[in-house]
Amino acid sequence: MNRREFLGMAALLPWLGTFSAEALAAAATPRSHQRILVLVKLAGGNDGLNTLIPYTDPLYYQHRPTIAIQKHQIVDIGQNTGMNPYLKALQPWWAKGNMAWVQGVGYPHESLSHFRSSDIWETAVDATSYSDRGWLGGLLPGCKPGLHGISIGDSTGPMTGKDCNTIAMQSPQTFLSQINMLEEMGAGGALRGGNAVLAHLGNVYQQLYATGAQLSEKLQRPTPLGVNFSTSEVGRDLESVAKMILSGVDATVYMVTLGGFDTHSSQNGVQSNLLHQLAGALDSFAQAMQRGGRWNDVMLMTYSEFGRRVQENHAKGTDHGAASVQLVMGGKVRGGIYGDKPDLAHLDADGNLQHTTDFRAVYGTVAQRWLGQPNPWGQFGTLPFV
Amino acid sequence: MGLLAFKDAVHLVARTGLGAEWAAVKQLEGRTQQAAVAWVLHPAASALKPVPRLTPWLKLEPMRLNDMKSRNSAWSISQREGKLLQAWWVEQMLTTRTPFVERMTLFWHNHFTSSIQKTLQPSLLYQQNLLLRRHAVGNFAELLRGMARDPAMLVYLDGYQNTKEQPNENFARELLELFTIGRGHYRESDVKAAAKAFTGWGVDNDTGKFIIRADQHVAGQSTFLGKTGDFSGDDILNILLAHPRTAERLVDKIWLAFVSNRPDPAVTSVWAQQLRGSGYDIQKLLETVFNSEPFWALHNRGTVVKSPVELVIGTARMLSYPRESTEEMLNLCRLLGQELFDPPNVKGWTGGEYWISTQTLLVRNAYLAKLSRGNLDDSVASPLKLPRVPDEQLIEWLLPVKPLKPLPVTPGARRLVRALLLDPAFQVS
Repeated sequence: MNRREFLGMAALLPWLGTFSAEALAAAATPRSHQRILVLVKLAGGNDGLNTLIPYTDPLYYQHRPTIAIQKHQIVDIGQNTGMNPYLKALQPWWAKGNMAWVQGVGYPHESLSHFRSSDIWETAVDATSYSDRGWLGGLLPGCKPGLHGISIGDSTGPMTGKDCNTIAMQSPQTFLSQINMLEEMGAGGALRGGNAVLAHLGNVYQQLYATGAQLSEKLQRPTPLGVNFSTSEVGRDLESVAKMILSGVDATVYMVTLGGFDTHSSQNGVQSNLLHQLAGALDSFAQAMQRGGRWNDVMLMTYSEFGRRVQENHAKGTDHGAASVQLVMGGKVRGGIYGDKPDLAHLDADGNLQHTTDFRAVYGTVAQRWLGQPNPWGQFGTLPFV
Repeated sequence: MGLLAFKDAVHLVARTGLGAEWAAVKQLEGRTQQAAVAWVLHPAASALKPVPRLTPWLKLEPMRLNDMKSRNSAWSISQREGKLLQAWWVEQMLTTRTPFVERMTLFWHNHFTSSIQKTLQPSLLYQQNLLLRRHAVGNFAELLRGMARDPAMLVYLDGYQNTKEQPNENFARELLELFTIGRGHYRESDVKAAAKAFTGWGVDNDTGKFIIRADQHVAGQSTFLGKTGDFSGDDILNILLAHPRTAERLVDKIWLAFVSNRPDPAVTSVWAQQLRGSGYDIQKLLETVFNSEPFWALHNRGTVVKSPVELVIGTARMLSYPRESTEEMLNLCRLLGQELFDPPNVKGWTGGEYWISTQTLLVRNAYLAKLSRGNLDDSVASPLKLPRVPDEQLIEWLLPVKPLKPLPVTPGARRLVRALLLDPAFQVS
């Protein structure tokens, strides 16, 4: 279905009446300076201490006799801190000042459950509260009308919300083929007045159609990236995101997930491999954005549900922990290390790092300083990484 | 209302069963409304499928407290048996002759949530499921007292760690916030007082059964919701049961599950008073609900979104098409956001419009498309036959409101059924 067909079909759908089908179907005149956020979820709980390494702290080596990263291996980035050697591909971006680390990120009374902590990170609530709305679900409708988020994966995560138009898809190709199936049921008909449930159903259909129309139009002749991405899953997913951005798909937020960080045993082999895939994919993505002239419009940010226990376990792994690190990249990002280094001498009752920066300070920074929205998390302050 | 027309019989079966099964609809068509409701509420007993072998608490729990290797193997056991338990319930729901009991059990599972993932004790979740079943259409006060003593609940909300030295408020907080009176009707001090009253309630390490450890109980005066005394856990439950909000919140949930997406406070307040007045007789409440004007009102038809379980299992129970394997059904329910024995958090599934998002609608649609095409990867033949009736009746059978999209012009029952399944109105009841 191309855009014209979609508009033709839209005319047949009475429930589209109150919406501007034109605006929803495609970004007729994409604003070239529209800012974009790309989230990379490191699922399973990434070990922050072996990602951003306090290699001058003897306590680090005491707690981790077999899995500590040795001084001579790390990529030194100053301030007594080093990057995991498998992140080497990112060194040029660090040198350029396009890359920031936030350390000691967490929240009070950290939950050690994957699901619960993931929910907390994605809904920005306190450890004792629950919300059905993702932290971006409330922000994005204020940014622009139409499409808000695209998540590569099976959850809309932080972009969940009543007025937030987010699509979760395995890949743009799979989505387009699923949409074709949906088309059979879509066209024509009318919604009964007053039935809010049917109206909601109509709305969701409409989001799907509109996104389908936009994607099929934009991706018919995708802009060549001119960069080779690795064939890892995260590489392919970020390649899809890069393609969508450069071809003019107008979502504000894209999200991809890299899983497998739950390293209870033989951590180093597993984490090295994952960080290697991550760094390679991020490097290709940054290059593609730079070549395509969008690097200054993009901010990329990682997050993980928690960090890991400071003390390694008997299986050369680590158990669920608390505070961890976040990586932020982009042409407008102010390079550096933000937040205070967590104190290895004063762990919490479970032997976990105590957070020094609330994760909502990071979200507040993104809301206020990147997306230009009112900051709902003002009480946590902001960080000057952008 | 006089005798139930076909359409009304469909409505009653769709709202109270798992799929608007043709045979059940035909049973109820032409009966009086009261007789039909009584038929739903007083089903003949139906056997429970035998449960798979589950490692008992007394074997699993010590492993979890042991070294890393035992812990890992306890975890693997809990994951494997958790899947068996989920499959057991799916198959029970697929084959039962009393789908209403399953729906009510699921309703209570979503009220008194517990998860195999947090407890890592599938055998306890099975026991809890039996408790929910026993009281599913029985008495809420008894169910509440049973849940406060239920080992899975005691583990899920850390009640078993609520001791003299280290009071744990988790169960007390959710008891007030989610199981009874709800937010805004208590203070932090009430949570603390409730937690204190329940200190010592735990699980016997040797048997896995409920136990009160007198030496772990904190006695002494405290004030709870304006009353002062030396309260036991049961005293706390009684005070909560006497509070009007408990019945009001319950009735709201019942309304959302069975009547429409918008509770009418004028009606629900009357029902809540009745419920409390009856000593929390669930069957009586449901009798009132299913015989009420709002339940039958035409403007409330098509306002309840089918849960993933209803959509996946209910549709398979209705139609003569080969069905998906149990495993795939579990997978579909997971993708659609409803994993049995593993709700997303203690609040349970929000349900209603939240069942329908861009991602779940695509999956719902793909499932129905595959099913109606007879195009499944791993299918199980169905014993049913597609009824030979006029098109108009097929439409009234499958959709609660008029189709939202034009129907196929080429004749053929299968083609029509497929179009009806793929109509947006099939997502609601």
